[in-house]
Amino acid sequence: MKRILFLFLVLGLGCLWAAPAAAFTPEVKQKVVTAASKNLIEIGLSYSGDQVHFFGVNPVPGSDLIIKLTAEKDEEIKFSVKGKVGPFWMTVKQYEVTGAPFIYKIHASKPVKEIVSEAVAQELELGYPAIRHKMKMHLSSGAAAADDGDKVFKGMLKIKEEANLYNIVEDPARLQVAEGKLFKHYFRFPPAATEGRYQVESFCFSKGELVGYGKDIIEIKKVGLEHWLTQTSQNRPVFFGILAVVIAVAAGLLVGVIFGKGGHH
Amino acid sequence: MEIYLPIAGMSINFFLVLGIGGLVGFLSGLFGVGGGFLLTPLMMMIGIPPAVAAASDSNQIVAAASSGAFAHWRLGNVDFKMGLIILAGGIAGGTIGVQFVKILRAAGNFEFVMKVVYVLMLGLVGGAMFMESLRTILRSRDPGAAAAVAEVSEPKLARLFAKMPLKMNFHRSGLQTSAIFPFAIGTIVGIMAALLGVGGGFIMVPAMIYIIGMPTIAAIGTDLFQIVLTSANVTLQQAMVNKTVDLLLALILLFGSTIGAQFGAAFGKRLKGEQIRILWRSSSWP
Repeated sequence: MKRILFLFLVLGLGCLWAAPAAAFTPEVKQKVVTAASKNLIEIGLSYSGDQVHFFGVNPVPGSDLIIKLTAEKDEEIKFSVKGKVGPFWMTVKQYEVTGAPFIYKIHASKPVKEIVSEAVAQELELGYPAIRHKMKMHLSSGAAAADDGDKVFKGMLKIKEEANLYNIVEDPARLQVAEGKLFKHYFRFPPAATEGRYQVESFCFSKGELVGYGKDIIEIKKVGLEHWLTQTSQNRPVFFGILAVVIAVAAGLLVGVIFGKGGHH
Repeated sequence: MEIYLPIAGMSINFFLVLGIGGLVGFLSGLFGVGGGFLLTPLMMMIGIPPAVAAASDSNQIVAAASSGAFAHWRLGNVDFKMGLIILAGGIAGGTIGVQFVKILRAAGNFEFVMKVVYVLMLGLVGGAMFMESLRTILRSRDPGAAAAVAEVSEPKLARLFAKMPLKMNFHRSGLQTSAIFPFAIGTIVGIMAALLGVGGGFIMVPAMIYIIGMPTIAAIGTDLFQIVLTSANVTLQQAMVNKTVDLLLALILLFGSTIGAQFGAAFGKRLKGEQIRILWRSSSWP
């Protein structure tokens, strides 16, 4: 009898442990078939951001859709909190923030909180409150204050939204769904979006439950001269510095020869 | 037409950068000075990160000053001995300055310190030049007073520095003076070159003429010589320590400023010296 009780206990605990994992592992749901107008964005000389169109088929017609764009890797950012020191407005403390995505954009067919519960939103990182929950802050200089968490988060949202790296659009006009099944939308990758891999996840929810999932990978890569200049400046800084000086001197002398007046300065 | 700056990590209108380069070049040609002190703030205004703006301007200055330095060298206007002493200071100052930039960036206060130094420096230099020009114009209306003032303004400081230790002969400038001041001013200008991305001619040339007592033409030639090498050192150090030199940005600025400078120089020939100095003062008010 004791053995049977023990087995039940183990199984019970096992189910408890497995239940949330099964509920929130998007890959096990029905696949949302999607396609992107391109999977590779090249940063060349005339790059000024790019727009990628996405198309998909909703596996459960009529269900709600949330599409999320994030970078594959989270970034570590340093935030300076400005304050008054005497008559000056300067940095008074700094926070190192980890766990916040570099880019975060959401398109939803209606407000996220009307589609999923807070717990699911948090688990699948849908919506700003989920980002706030995931984000970790570490004070690296200055004295902490009680409202710093909110202040830094609001500051981060402002900076990111201004750079068009974060935004949430809960509007069926932006995420068009034809006959409850075929959907299309586009994400704008701003010029500030750096090299790296980005993922576009499509979630389908029916009555608050995840019923479909799909993922596209978009890669941003510098090419040609942009790639060479970045790589050289980062990996061979001494060579890059000397090269910058040599090119500048040569250009200056060339100008002197062309205009014949010895340039200016 | 947008162009992507690889180190600044941003896309910007090519003609806007070219236009700013052209405007600064025009003023450079008009006033016969560099333009680093105008270029860095203008770059920041259009959204270039301050550290990239300062480092790339240093790179642009190397180009802008090198043709002039070469021309002055051929005309025999460079006092190499003086230039090398100032340069030694400039290299020391530039190297210290780049480390300052690193520390200030880590503390998040680079932009703040940069702005404060700008305001103080431009306020002081601009104020002094404005007063000097005003006095010259007033004097020109009263020829008697002009002679009296000219006698009083013999470089007293030059005599004072000539008495300090480490005396040396500077044949090209026809001077015998201490090496301490040229080294010290070189160091200060080197630090500013790193912090602000300026060449420092607007401090160096008056210091050479009024404090060291050099002839004007030798001061200009020697200044250009030391600017090329001090800015080259700052560019190299910024590339190594802070990785903030955007070569593409520097080249566009150079292209714009070269064209602008030709128009500026042509326009400048139509104006009188005092008028130019007053205009210059107005343009450099922080």
